[in-house]
Amino acid sequence: MAAAMTGGTAFIRNLSRLFQSRLPVLVGGPQQLLCLHTTSSLEVHKWERKNRVVYPPQLPDEPRRPAEICHCRRTIKYSKDKMWYLAKMIRGMNIDEAIAQLEFNDKKGAKIMREVLLEAQEMAVRNHNVEYKSNLYVAESFSGKGKYLKRTRFHGRGLSSIMEKVFCHYFVKLVEGKPPETEKRTSLDQAKEYVQSLKNRTIIHSL
Amino acid sequence: MAMSVRRTQVVLQRAACIKLKIGEMDVRLPVPLLLPVRTKKRIFIPPVAKMNLLEDLKDSSREADFTQRHQDFERPINIGCSVVIFDPYIPPEGDARLSTLSKEGLKQRTEQIRQSASSQLAIRKIKEYDSQFTTKDFAKKAQEIFIEAHNFLTNFNRHMLHSLVTERCYPEMTRGNRYKTICWSFIESLEAPKVVHARCPEMITKGNLYGQVTVRMHSRQTLAIYDRFGRLMLGSKEQPKDVLEYLVLERHLNNPYGGWRLHGKIVPSWAPAKDPIIKTVRIPGPQLKPGEEFDALNYQVPKPEAVQWYK
Repeated sequence: MAAAMTGGTAFIRNLSRLFQSRLPVLVGGPQQLLCLHTTSSLEVHKWERKNRVVYPPQLPDEPRRPAEICHCRRTIKYSKDKMWYLAKMIRGMNIDEAIAQLEFNDKKGAKIMREVLLEAQEMAVRNHNVEYKSNLYVAESFSGKGKYLKRTRFHGRGLSSIMEKVFCHYFVKLVEGKPPETEKRTSLDQAKEYVQSLKNRTIIHSL
Repeated sequence: MAMSVRRTQVVLQRAACIKLKIGEMDVRLPVPLLLPVRTKKRIFIPPVAKMNLLEDLKDSSREADFTQRHQDFERPINIGCSVVIFDPYIPPEGDARLSTLSKEGLKQRTEQIRQSASSQLAIRKIKEYDSQFTTKDFAKKAQEIFIEAHNFLTNFNRHMLHSLVTERCYPEMTRGNRYKTICWSFIESLEAPKVVHARCPEMITKGNLYGQVTVRMHSRQTLAIYDRFGRLMLGSKEQPKDVLEYLVLERHLNNPYGGWRLHGKIVPSWAPAKDPIIKTVRIPGPQLKPGEEFDALNYQVPKPEAVQWYK
């Protein structure tokens, strides 16, 4: 990967000591000024940090808080747009159903997503005190852009262009419990609503 | 690349040194060299060049008469506690389970520490280093240390915990606690704590003594462990439990500033830690003939019979 010269200011100062780099060194400035998506290798990403939140003990009369497990996989060699289709497919599904659907999907990202879901299920049962491994549903599932590599693409007539090697991240959040009921609207319902809206029209300022 | 090497060679050949004549000696003083410096980071340095680089650095430092800073290749390690509970106390079977009025119970009560000779020897050795050591006071102090250490475990304070608990015991106490909440309270002591066992093992060198004393404690405590989401995982806050424990406290006797710290607990073989109840229960399904399918929707789970049982 291209040397990730982005990071905290301390990291940059170390680099400039060891090698004479030509990066602008910001003395004590906030990280956001350098560029977006700056996390050095030693810092933990936000999504992984969500698993470290500890809630205070619940009172006996409070409703039981459902367990939430956040898991992700970074730097998958796949397009984020192609991954989005799969992520959108499994949103709101029960975890067993999601795993089954991904198993029989022909896309490359489906295999990787299935592994991620299985890992997350395993983590939930082992570390996060989830009793039934099937009592989980996919609350959030989305893909993000990873760091792209640039390569040369050779065209005819001696022309060349930059080819981007595309990477993506995949994030998933499993919540304990039954998947929430989605309102099912059939085409007949939609048609009825349309007709009703037509009927509700009134003529203003009429006699 | 060849051009840069050539450039450096040319500069080196022309390197002028000021030739002075002090008396009749020719002294060659080094003149600061102006070399074209490579600023681009060299990803691959061939091993021959790398060796030369290091040698050059050493030569220049010798000429300038710089001594190398004192490097710590070996750092002294302080062993503050021993690794094992040396010669562990084997608690008599049925301890605290027999009523004191029976013959067995009386025997246990009258069994005193004086019976064990090696424990007496160990106590004598401890008294050499600590003249105010008495078994009665020590037992009370041990209970106080225990209560304080567990209070620091609940409102987690690792600095105070390190001063009350040895390095061997600390990971045992704190492993897996990071994403959990522990609520512990000491209600009362049912029997006075008693010193039952003592040993003075030596580690590595002769004369490096560690004193290990076992204290028997019978008390009432409540323990409740909550998981990451604040849900009760184990135990209960309201229901107290009677607990019989054999605590081992240790002190590095040679260290004049050392103190008695909790080193571990002895779990007797006749009272092992019980596994918590498995909440998930598997109910055996109906016996299917080959070719039949399990109809999950219409299957009714058989209810267990209503039987009277004692708590």
